[in-house]
Formats: sequence, structure tokens, C-alpha cells
Amino acid sequence: MAKTLQERRAERQLMIVLLPSLLLLVAFVIYPAIYSVYLSFTNEALTGAAARAPRFVGWRNYTRLFNDAKFWNALFVTFVFVLGAAIIGQFVLGLVSAIALRRRLVFRTVFSSIILLPNAAPEVVAGFMWISMLAGGDHATLSRFVFFFGLPTADWLQVFPLAMIIVVNTWRGIATAMILLTAGLSTIPQEIYEAARMDGATPAQMFRRITLPLMMPTILLYMLISTVSTIAVFGLVYALTRGGPGGATELISIYIYNQSFTAYQLGYGAAVVVIALLVSLLLGIAYARAAKVEI
Amino acid sequence: MKSTVERIEKKLGVKIEVVEYPAPDKDYLSKLLTELGAGNGPDLFSMPSTAAVADMVDAGYLAPITTEINAWDGYKNFYDVAKKLAVSPDGETYVMPYMLGIQENYYRKDVLEKVGISTEQPKTWDDLIARAEEIKTKTGAYGLLFPAGVSWGSGAFDEGFQHLIVGSKTPQIVTDDGKLDLNGEGVKDVFNVYKTLIDKDLMPVQPLLGPEPWVVPKYELFPAGKLVATTCGSWCYIFDWGRESKNPIPDVTKVVGTWTVPGQTGGQFVLANLAAPWAVNAKSANVELAKKALLEIGSVETQVSYAARIGNIPSNKDAASDPEFQKLTELVPIYAAAEKGTFLKQAAGFGTVAEGVARATDALLRKEVDAAGAQKILVDYVKETLGEDAVK
Repeated sequence: MAKTLQERRAERQLMIVLLPSLLLLVAFVIYPAIYSVYLSFTNEALTGAAARAPRFVGWRNYTRLFNDAKFWNALFVTFVFVLGAAIIGQFVLGLVSAIALRRRLVFRTVFSSIILLPNAAPEVVAGFMWISMLAGGDHATLSRFVFFFGLPTADWLQVFPLAMIIVVNTWRGIATAMILLTAGLSTIPQEIYEAARMDGATPAQMFRRITLPLMMPTILLYMLISTVSTIAVFGLVYALTRGGPGGATELISIYIYNQSFTAYQLGYGAAVVVIALLVSLLLGIAYARAAKVEI
Repeated sequence: MKSTVERIEKKLGVKIEVVEYPAPDKDYLSKLLTELGAGNGPDLFSMPSTAAVADMVDAGYLAPITTEINAWDGYKNFYDVAKKLAVSPDGETYVMPYMLGIQENYYRKDVLEKVGISTEQPKTWDDLIARAEEIKTKTGAYGLLFPAGVSWGSGAFDEGFQHLIVGSKTPQIVTDDGKLDLNGEGVKDVFNVYKTLIDKDLMPVQPLLGPEPWVVPKYELFPAGKLVATTCGSWCYIFDWGRESKNPIPDVTKVVGTWTVPGQTGGQFVLANLAAPWAVNAKSANVELAKKALLEIGSVETQVSYAARIGNIPSNKDAASDPEFQKLTELVPIYAAAEKGTFLKQAAGFGTVAEGVARATDALLRKEVDAAGAQKILVDYVKETLGEDAVK
């Protein structure tokens, strides 16, 4: 059926409204992504002969990458980091905070302000602040705390580096999780809980049978956003450990930085970017399928 | 820099904008290379390490200054070692070698004398290690430090590996045809020194795996006498432990002595490199004008001013008679020894070698490999990065 004049006009207006966003998307997302794919097939570098005259090297960067133990280590570290910080830490604490803040607590405002505080500190500042807390020696906060209880002190970022960056990133991300999950909780009608209570359901049963199933779309959306953004975490961890000790906290983002701006191998760094992009894309599709939404 | 800028502005009739780049060196170089690669680098800039120069020449970032610098009167009295260090593998000069970094071993004379350990110059690597063992046994302190590991960045190469390789069985790592000779016996022997120090707990390891590895050993352990010897440069007398330090050692030049780094089986080595050499951007809007400004940076006045600020050694012999330099009493004795400085022949790929050494020593620090394993990490990394052909 032919479109009416009004429909065509509405479509045109929609295109005009969308055009600036589309142009920005092409300029700052799509073009750089395509250029990264191109770079990944060259030996482009920031210095040396390859900086003057880069050449096409075919699949060499990818072959090298899949044989590089440091790349696999970075992938593994990133997996554990995302699992620990985003999927377990931030989600669980965010959900607990969201549920707690729906109740009538005495210090509700204070509590919610405290949870939001970590987002007020810039990443690098937060990183250095945590270094002072987790450092070795008698004056570091955590060491003084454990010493007070008669426990042995340690240089926490050296002894438990991965666990520490998970803790720090969890601290930083609770607020985002809480806000998103609070929005999800508010969509659940209170009548359902009241009916369940009248039927004699326990709080645990209500949580398992009502809250979780009805929250699932929000949870999956949160997981998608949180997973992809945690894969890209750089500043906080770089300020804390620079990927060390010995690659123990070398996330894929830090590995990319090190290859591109420490070893100056832009082509190889781009190949890692492409793989990280594919991993993020696959995870995004998986979440979207689980949430049964179209993307 | 302020007085130099004013002088250049007055002499050349230009307006200069001074831009400060971030520290540490790694971040500084990354920013500089990114800007030069994008074609919008500064007209004149300094580089954090001699090792970066050959690669930057290959990249086409630096304008040659051979004709101008050789015709310049001020260059005649530069130390030969500075002039040699300034010449790139292609025979051209691209940098103003106005300051020298003179490095050797610094040790706590007071600590050794207190427990009756000899302060005499160690004669071989074994002698040096034996001294470190004696220090450990008699004082419980760490006996010796060579910077190592990925976190230390190019310092693992510039302030650690180079000290030992120049006195090894294979003292150069570049062949006549410009290839990197990293499979030599000397490289393995150098890594073996690190391994011995690490295995015998003679050098601090944990701090070197952290994000700012120099802080604990250089600024805490050494001033406290818990690390007794370390490689360092002339600047340490002023900044690390001297008058500009946050944790100064009283009477630093009296209680901290220097040893040259002994060779594997003999010989004494003082390492010389170019400290923050300046160069002209090949894509500068006015290369000729930038070259004129560069020559002004090479003046004795600027060298002395920099010596006071960064603790390095002026390359011009005329600085010796400068009254302002004579006030820098910590540097005067080191200045006299600058001519004897040893250095590695430069080649493209040194930046990659530096990163490879950092990775290899990092694995040694984590006790994951032996000396042969560390050498393999270095060779594999350089081959993967620069191609098989780059390594002999």
C-alpha cells in the first residue's frame, strides 16, 4: 500500500532528526572499527621503519596473537575480572543495595549517598587512593586494619593483585548496578507480593519466584552493559597496577595499550582490538538472545 | 629552560611555546611518538632515552643536523663520547648531545665500613656478587640492585642490562650489518647475574613487580641502608638521595661512594648515554629556524642550568670553568670521568630490545625461567616484533 503524504513527511523528519547521530556514529565508531580491521593486517608502528612505510602482512598479526601466551593470559585475566567484578560483585551488592533501599531504612539517604560516592572520584584519583590503602608497610589503611586484629600485614596489590582489582572495580560499579536494578524492581507491582504473602510465601520464596523472574530482563540488560563496559575498563586498573605484577592484572585493555603504546606495534595492537571487539559482540548477542530482545 | 627560551626568542625573533609532557618516560615517549606519527609534533623536542633515537630516525621523524652542528663553534669542545653517541647508524647526526648521563654503581660506604666489609672496587662479576653476599650475611640488607622488570620500562635496559652487557664476553649487540645479536653468550651470562642475585635474595624483588618499582628500593631501602648498592646516575646524588630528595641521606657524597661496574672477567665500566637529547622535527614548519634554536640549546649556559635541574653532566668541556657549574659540587668529580664513558653501538630496534629485556628480567624476577629462558624471551620478542631478519 502506498505511503500517504503525512507518512512520507514523518519519515523524512525522522531521518533529519537521526542524521546527526548517524554521522557521529559513522565518524567515531564505525569508521574507526573498520580502520582497526585494516590496521590489523599491516605492520603499522609508531616508530621504526614500519612507521615510515607500513606494509600489508596478511594474517601474521593474528597468527602471532594466537601463539602469544601473554594474549591468552590477558583474556583469562579479563574473564576472571568480569566474572568477579561485574557479574558477581557489582550485581550481588547492587541488588542487595537496591532491595535495601526500597525498604524504610533510618539512614536511607545517607546509605544511598555513600553508595553513589565512588562515582564522584575520577578513575585515576580513585586508583591512587586505593594504592595508598592497599600498599605494603605499616601506614597503609588495610594493613593497619588487619594488624589491629593481630593478623599479618601484606602488600595487598602484590600478593592478591587480581582479587584486589576485582574489589576496587566492584566498589566503583555498585552505584550503577543499584540504579539499574532499582529501576527494574520498581516495575514489579506490589500487589503480587501482597498476594504471595497472603498465600504464606516466605521472603526467600518471594525473591526466588517473583523478584528474580520478573527482574530477569533488567538483570540481563544490566549484565550486557556491565560485561561490555568491564571488558573495556582501563584507567582504574592501569593506575593501580599497570597490569602487574608479572601480568597478573593485565586485562585485555591494558594488553592492547601495552602493545600499541609501549611496544608501539599499532598493527598488532589493532589485531587484539578486533578480537576483543568480536568477544564483546558475541557476548552481546548471547545476552540479547537470553533476554529475548531484538538488537 | 626559561633563560634559554628567552635567549632564543631574543636572538631569533621568534615566540616560543613551551609544552610540558607527562612523566614517566614511557608515557612521555608514547605521547611524543603519537604526535609525531600524526604529523603534529613540536618543532623541537627532547627524548627520554638514547635507545629511542635510531628508531625515530628510521621513522623519518628527525631532521639531520650533521652540517649545522659540525659547523657550529660550540661543538668543538664537546666530549668525544657525546659526539659519538649522537651519530646514528646511518652516519648522520640527528640530536644535540648537550647532556650526558653517567652511570655506575653507588654504594653505602658508611654501612660497609661499620660492619667491616671492603669498600674497594670489585674487579669481576663474581667479585661483585661475592660482595653482595657478604653484605647480606653481615647486615641482612640487600646487597645489590640492577633495575629489572616490565614496570621499570626502558630503565631495565638503560639502567640495568647495559651496565653488564658492555663488560660481558659479547660487549656489543649490533653486528656490522645492523642486525641485533642477541643470541650471544654474553646476553645469557648477564641474565645469569640477575638470576643469581634473585635466587640468593641479594636484590629486592617484590617492589620491582609493582607499578612504581623504583620508589621502594631507591627512595626507601637505600636511604635506610637496607639496600647497600645499586646502579644509578649522577642525578642520584642530587635528586634520589641528595638536597632535592624527599628522603635525603645526610652528607650524601661522603657516605655514598661509587664503584665502576666491573666486567665479567675484569675491566671497569662507566656507562655513558645521552641525557634527554634534543632534536628537530623533520616535519617542522621551519626546519632551518628550528635547527638554529637547537644550537642555542647546546650552549654551556643551558647545559649548566640543566645540570643543576636534572643532575646530568654537561657535554661541553668548557662547563668545567663555569662558576655556576663549580657550585654543583656533587657533579664535579663525575664530570671529570665522563670522557671514559662506555656505550653500546646504537641500532634501529633498540626500543624493542629494551622492552624485550624488561620482559625477560620480569620473568626472572618471578622465578619462571633460568638465564637461557630469559634470553629466549628476549630473542622471541624481538623477532616477533621486528621480524626474523632483524636478529642475527
